Amino acid sequence: MDKMRGFILVLAALVLFLSGCAGFQTSNSNNEKNEQEGNTEGKTVIDFWTFWGSEIRKPIIEKIIADFNASQDEIEVKHTFLPFGDIWTKELAAIAAGDPPDVVINDINATALRGQKKQAMNLSQFLENDDISTRFYPELWDATLYEGDSYGIPFNTDTRVLFYNKDAFEEVGLDPEKPPTTWAELEEYAAKLDKKSGNDYDRVGFYPLWGIGYDVWLLNANGQNYFDEQNNFQIDTAKNEEVLNWLKTWKDRYGDDVVNSYQAQIDSQQGHPFFSGDLAMIAQTPTFYTQIRDYAKDLNFGVVELPEYEAGNGNTSWGGGFVAEIPEGSKNPEEAWEFIKYLTDVQAQEYWAVQNFDNVANIEAAETAAQSDEFTEDGTMVYEKAVENMEHTLLTPVPVVAPDFSSLINPNMDEFFLGSMTAKEALEKSQKDVESLIKKNQ
Amino acid sequence: MGKKRLTMRRKESISGYIFVLPWIIGFLAFTAGPLVFSFAASFTNYNITSQMDFVGAENYQGLFTEDSLFWTSLWNTLYFVAISVPLTTIGAIFLSALLNQDIPGIRFFRTLYYLPAVLSGVGVYMLWMQLLDPGTGMVNLVLSWFGIDGPNWLFDPEWTKPSLIFMKLWSVGGAMLLYLASMQGVSKNLYEAAEIDGANTWKKFFHITIPMITPVIFFDVVTSLIGGFQIFQEAYVMSNNGEGGPANSLLFYNLYMWKQAFTNFNMGYAMAMSWILFVIVFILTIFNLKLAPRWVHYEGEEK
Repeated sequence: MDKMRGFILVLAALVLFLSGCAGFQTSNSNNEKNEQEGNTEGKTVIDFWTFWGSEIRKPIIEKIIADFNASQDEIEVKHTFLPFGDIWTKELAAIAAGDPPDVVINDINATALRGQKKQAMNLSQFLENDDISTRFYPELWDATLYEGDSYGIPFNTDTRVLFYNKDAFEEVGLDPEKPPTTWAELEEYAAKLDKKSGNDYDRVGFYPLWGIGYDVWLLNANGQNYFDEQNNFQIDTAKNEEVLNWLKTWKDRYGDDVVNSYQAQIDSQQGHPFFSGDLAMIAQTPTFYTQIRDYAKDLNFGVVELPEYEAGNGNTSWGGGFVAEIPEGSKNPEEAWEFIKYLTDVQAQEYWAVQNFDNVANIEAAETAAQSDEFTEDGTMVYEKAVENMEHTLLTPVPVVAPDFSSLINPNMDEFFLGSMTAKEALEKSQKDVESLIKKNQ
Repeated sequence: MGKKRLTMRRKESISGYIFVLPWIIGFLAFTAGPLVFSFAASFTNYNITSQMDFVGAENYQGLFTEDSLFWTSLWNTLYFVAISVPLTTIGAIFLSALLNQDIPGIRFFRTLYYLPAVLSGVGVYMLWMQLLDPGTGMVNLVLSWFGIDGPNWLFDPEWTKPSLIFMKLWSVGGAMLLYLASMQGVSKNLYEAAEIDGANTWKKFFHITIPMITPVIFFDVVTSLIGGFQIFQEAYVMSNNGEGGPANSLLFYNLYMWKQAFTNFNMGYAMAMSWILFVIVFILTIFNLKLAPRWVHYEGEEK
């Protein structure tokens, strides 16, 4: 009897123990299952992680994947959606655990950093036989390089342009076909477009920090990033001081109350003052057009490159984007590469561009998409301007010696715009803070 | 006979160990293991994927001597804890005292005040961002009815932490429920005896209710102190893009640690930070435990 009881106890304990272990095994057994499935069909299954899970984007990326899967009989791409906030921490954990996905969509500006930290695979082994670098805007391609080797293939990008309300221009006697070309004109036009009743604004002409940040204006004035090619950092300059003070004059002109209450409406999308005609000009990404299309169908608007600091200075704009990477430790890098090639080739890129109204990295696809019949007249106008603007668009890849430099600069700029630091003080402190970070990391 | 009993006891203890084995393995694999690992890694330049070289106390030294953001984030966190913990504790006690009345419809109010504790997370923070919006938010609108020109809340570094503390008061429902339960457990005899001696409501509250619920107050203070030091999500959602701004005023300790770990991949550095936080919280908790006998009253305890 005692023996029996002891046996049952041990058995029960074992069952408990094993059920405790079951948690660890699910992911493994899934993988095995996939591999088996792959084996029965004779295909290699690769796992592709994206954050495109929205109603709009998910069907588009899944169509591209389905087309790829149908195009050959060697590889089966499986799409895994992870929310934007989680995807890269999960990827990092998966790399550390030695079981990463085969392809992942990641931020372009930190590609070199991930290359340096051995999170993303060096792609030069594939590029040697299969050079696809000329497909993309050079600025995007360069952002993926670390010590001359690429660690990610550009997928999409964006840029910043100026949207303006043509009817408002006409109303105040400005030529709607001649938008402002310099900062001085921008100021002059904005003053004309302002409409006040008493102390309240019925219409604000322009405010430079709705839609884009101070950093884009610094880039626009300087025509270059804070970091040069040798990773020398330079922010504390007389020109930057002037730019910051210029930005501040706008804030002082409209006053905190106007700036704050408009800001809230801008963030809320539907109530955007540009749609209602309460704001005459705004700097934004070209995809802003899709909101105009959805919320303000009848708006008579134009789009133009960001005005230049002064005539002849150049219309420099800023952009970001995403790349497709093979994480370090991928079990099927060859197959992953095949898929990435397809993903960034003309057909898939053009489909993505037209369906999403998104700027793609592939030049030929972008130019073809601009002529797409699926766009409306306004859509074509915006898309063409976006493609054209890529020529003036700079990316700001984070330098490996100071990946988090912006979190040192931004607080100083906050202090400047809040009035607790002068422009000079904010720039001096930023210069000093970033230099000491670089020194620490070298 | 004696020998047989011993073997039976032995058998039973073996079975016992086998029963707790899953927990022990879980503890070793998921708690103790990572703990030991993170302590060891805090002395390295570990970045998860490519390196893990021993660097001695460099991370700790760097934190204390070179990293001004470390001190900023520590100060922000201390500020938040020092004000929000007493405030939410007093708020919860006050609220539960109100809800401990025997009046009609009290169940409805209890549910109502507990409701925010059920709702939590990102959705609530987004809601508060709208409520606290200086231009269009409800809070400033209500203030304006009383002729008060509300602050810029989350846009003004002076007001960002008070904004979060204010927001925290909304979710005192969880603690309130604990206090309510413990208040209901206070013996009626005590109140009756006090009434005979002529004690009024306030006297009864301060001389009977409060002393009798001190164990729960103690528990609440210790847990919310620990929780307060771990504030992360609120700042991650509510400070522009998780930057900790404006002007680093919401850069809390855990947010900065997270950025070091997952933005800069300085995992060793972040682990050193986590151990410093552990030491701080540990010391404070020990301090609380030492202080407890002076003010916490356990019924039936021998002095």
